[in-house]
Amino acid sequence: MTDENEIDGLAGEYVLGTLDVGEHASVKARRQREPALDAAITDWERRLAPLIETTLPTVPPITLFAKIEARINSANFSPVGNATIIDLGRRVKFWRATALIASALAASLVVAIGVHEFGPKPKQQNLVAVLQKDATSPAFLVTVNIDDRVMTVRPVAAKPQPGKSYELWLVQDSLGAPKSLGVIDEHQAMQRPTLAAYKRDVIESATFAVSLEPEGGSPTGEPTGPVVFAGKLIPTGN
Amino acid sequence: MIRRANLGVDGNLMTPDGLSHLMRRVAQRDRSAFAKVYQATSAKLYGIVLRILRRRDIADEVLQEVYVKIWERAAHFDSERASPISWMATIARNRALDEVRRKQPVSIEDHPEVQDCASDDETALAAVMRSEDGRRLAECLKRLEPDRRQMVVFAYCEGLSRDELAKKYGQPVNTIKTWLRRSLAQLKGCLGP
Repeated sequence: MTDENEIDGLAGEYVLGTLDVGEHASVKARRQREPALDAAITDWERRLAPLIETTLPTVPPITLFAKIEARINSANFSPVGNATIIDLGRRVKFWRATALIASALAASLVVAIGVHEFGPKPKQQNLVAVLQKDATSPAFLVTVNIDDRVMTVRPVAAKPQPGKSYELWLVQDSLGAPKSLGVIDEHQAMQRPTLAAYKRDVIESATFAVSLEPEGGSPTGEPTGPVVFAGKLIPTGN
Repeated sequence: MIRRANLGVDGNLMTPDGLSHLMRRVAQRDRSAFAKVYQATSAKLYGIVLRILRRRDIADEVLQEVYVKIWERAAHFDSERASPISWMATIARNRALDEVRRKQPVSIEDHPEVQDCASDDETALAAVMRSEDGRRLAECLKRLEPDRRQMVVFAYCEGLSRDELAKKYGQPVNTIKTWLRRSLAQLKGCLGP
């Protein structure tokens, strides 16, 4: 029962928002493969929901809705065969912008946790993997800072699948079964410290694979759906 | 009570049922329904993300992502399981909490334009008590010791980490964790599953 109490306490704190960066990311990843934790989180969301009434409404800037509509328009991909073709030029501009934000965030993350846990590093090496079905249909870009084991996943042209989630896996012989790196978002870049548990040479030689899973991720902890995209890391020379 | 409902674009009251109906149209990719949902809910959701993020530039960005997500996931909204506004608020809070955990905290002193919320216990509880579920939660919150009740409300509203709460309340982090866990267990015992 202690275990159950621990799960419930952790879920409650996750919903309250009191966990630190590491715990928050870990719970977020764990809930994808631990149904009990996920259910406990949903229960706490429901119990505490009336507290949203304590927040005062604030009118957002008047231009915001037009920006939202523009994003929705640019996210409406047109499927062609198995691949997904989108307006790449527009997306590339968007990634450049997100990449700038992402590197700023990465820097602040290093300041926030890296210095204590890893000490300052003389140089950082970035690796990138293009996850694709074939050479003409990149779906996600994975960037890994190998020194800090921080991974950023950016959607390129992944098409949303109603009722399904994309889940990222680390596949390498020494690991045995594929290891889940969590559900990834087809709409926005996300940054995860989920590679922290793996050795440098394992990450560098691994295949990153994306499978299509039931919404919220694989219920078993192993891939249950088809692998739709895959790729390996290459150095960026950065 | 007029304050209980959200004001729609033309000044009509937006009831939870009205909002659920609009969400079903959004799920059918109805852009005008989406615009109405935005009009009725954006001030609430902006308040939520701004309170946690404390910076308007970041809150603007996050709110855009939240509404794109609401548009994409509208088909998954289930009015049996949650009211439309709590479903949307959960998306907004989760996104804001992810964001605030990725960067260094911003001091409240840097951004005095963001109003404090729920600092007054009575006001906070009165606000919560507008619905049936809210009345029950308020009753259960009243059974906590005042400082712990305030901490729970404050943590939810501001997304403060244990470290930040420890500084605010002048207590060791472990004490804060113990208080939070006990308060949560007490609340659950009072509210039921």
